[in-house]
Amino acid sequence: MLALSRKLNESIVIGNDIEVTILEVKGDQVKIGISAPKSVPIYRKEIYLQIKESNKEAVETNANEEVLMKLFKKH
Amino acid sequence: MLINTKHFGKIDLDEDKIITFENGILGFEDYKKYTLLYDDEDGERPDISWLQSLDEPMLALPVISPFLVKPDYNPEVEDELLKPLGSLSEDNIVVLISITVPSDIEKITANLRAPFIMNSDSRKGAQIIIENPEYEVKYHFYNQLAAHKAVKEGK
Repeated sequence: MLALSRKLNESIVIGNDIEVTILEVKGDQVKIGISAPKSVPIYRKEIYLQIKESNKEAVETNANEEVLMKLFKKH
Repeated sequence: MLINTKHFGKIDLDEDKIITFENGILGFEDYKKYTLLYDDEDGERPDISWLQSLDEPMLALPVISPFLVKPDYNPEVEDELLKPLGSLSEDNIVVLISITVPSDIEKITANLRAPFIMNSDSRKGAQIIIENPEYEVKYHFYNQLAAHKAVKEGK
């Protein structure tokens, strides 16, 4: 991993159209500003990992099909 | 075309039923082609379908309409993320969410945070992580759905 030291209000540029700026440093929390094309999805990593995990769990669905189908059967 | 599926064996699928997820889905980025399958044995479409990969037969996610478990579902989505799907309208948008089903069915959950959004005209889809922090990745809905069904059956 590339590690760069930055001070408040300094930035790094990734490629031609992504800029990451340190906006605020308060104790153990850092506020980061990201300028990127809107088509680039940006996620908090915890959420990103939760969704990945959730997709994997969904694929592993091996529930008793009958119970599952009964729950979603239309009447 | 003939495809192998996880729950329905080998089936003959019309080419126009193929949905392309150009970015794949999270955790399965390499698989881009999917279709929606459901069991119509009873002659009536159930509320559950399967988002089945065409590239990997074992890759199939159970999906439902978010409105089934959250009638006022109203996700906030960055327009730019939907642009690749083509022009969306009330008539062509399809929104589904995946469910996870542990061995105890009562612990079933739905992922309200990352719906699959599809355009039935362009046949393109994407899994979008929405902005709303109140929508949970693991939303428990068994009691609510069971109660709703009980009311319907009581009629």
